[in-house]
Amino acid sequence: MSAVREAFILPLLFLTIALFGGLDPGAPAPWNPPSLFSLVLAVMVMAALVRSGTLAPDRLMHGSRPIVANANGLVVLLSLFAASAQVLNMLTPRSGLPSLIVGVVLFVLLLNTLVMSPDRPRLLRSFAVVTGSAFVLKFVILASLADPEGGRTKRVLLALFDVATLGTISQAPLHSAAGYWAFVLVLLFLAAVALLPPASYRSTAALPPYGERALTRTE
Amino acid sequence: MGSGPLGPDPIRSIPYRSDGSREVPALQTGAFFVSVARHRRIFGACRYNRAVREQIVRGAGLVVAIAYASAITWTYVRQPETVAQVTGGLAAGVGAYRIDPQAFADGLTFFKNDQFVEARAAFARADPAEQDARTQFYIAYSYYRQGWGRIYSDDVLFSEGLKRVDLAIARAPAGRLVVDDPNLQLHSADELRAELDAGLRRDASDFNPLRVMRKRK
Repeated sequence: MSAVREAFILPLLFLTIALFGGLDPGAPAPWNPPSLFSLVLAVMVMAALVRSGTLAPDRLMHGSRPIVANANGLVVLLSLFAASAQVLNMLTPRSGLPSLIVGVVLFVLLLNTLVMSPDRPRLLRSFAVVTGSAFVLKFVILASLADPEGGRTKRVLLALFDVATLGTISQAPLHSAAGYWAFVLVLLFLAAVALLPPASYRSTAALPPYGERALTRTE
Repeated sequence: MGSGPLGPDPIRSIPYRSDGSREVPALQTGAFFVSVARHRRIFGACRYNRAVREQIVRGAGLVVAIAYASAITWTYVRQPETVAQVTGGLAAGVGAYRIDPQAFADGLTFFKNDQFVEARAAFARADPAEQDARTQFYIAYSYYRQGWGRIYSDDVLFSEGLKRVDLAIARAPAGRLVVDDPNLQLHSADELRAELDAGLRRDASDFNPLRVMRKRK
């Protein structure tokens, strides 16, 4: 990994995600720090990244590296943790039953990922699916249910839905730019994770069945 | 490998014979020795420069990342709501923030004429980032004077005034703010805060008929 990527690109990408992931435009206190639960989820994300070989911590921090290089690696790891926590916090609905359900589902999915130990491409695909689904749920489905705009029929239907669910589903209305903002941040996060230094692999000499070459981690 | 500002390495560029040997001139003689020495010195310098350049890149990246992380921490602690508050807060952090003196003077003029809404608009223009303690003090004072009444005080205006005077105290060095203005009767932020707080409190003194005799400060 080049020094520019390690010292500039990755930290700035992750710090930008950490900064704007907590932005809630229009709220009285617009900058929300991550919840404690999202910190737990971020730890699980880091563990999944390391176990899958998507992130090789020894390529960021190692005794053989100079002090400045190790400091750069530490910044990358800390900023990755902060960005993961903020992205998961951003994708979790703010209140009610959806918040609980999404929290539990994210926890179970990440736990499942940790147990399965997928390789790098599969983990990246899995992250894209998990974050994309959570994005659609919060910023498309739940946001449309909480949208104050619309005709009388829509408002009556929403009021009936609210009564039927005892108000546990409806969320506070989101700012019109929040969804676009979150979309960009999720894409940035996935791109930045793909740029992390992967663990070294070696190709086994013997070809396994079905013409595929097995990959074995050498760390 | 082997080429640089002086062309290919003089030793490596000597062709091999068919038996694998080659004729290398005696290094101690003449221009060839100088050429080899210069070539290797420059190559060594290139390697050295590359290492130094990488150290500079890494050091600069570290500084930028730490500064960015500090700005993020500041943002989450201060909770700025506008871009002006962000830029003004960062400028105040390095001591570069200045209010607009003309707008402040306009605000003072409106304030003295009891035009409090106009005064607050001018003060907001003077201090868009809400970083100047004195301006925030005057804004709080304008809420106090506008909300003050002989029978009762306007709770909404007093609450806003309390927020502003708290902001002024937070922005003042060591939390101490004294304004030498002969038009004011409350010169310190602490006095103004106590007055606003007393106006918001409900107690038996509120029913004292002699309250109508009190004067606005």
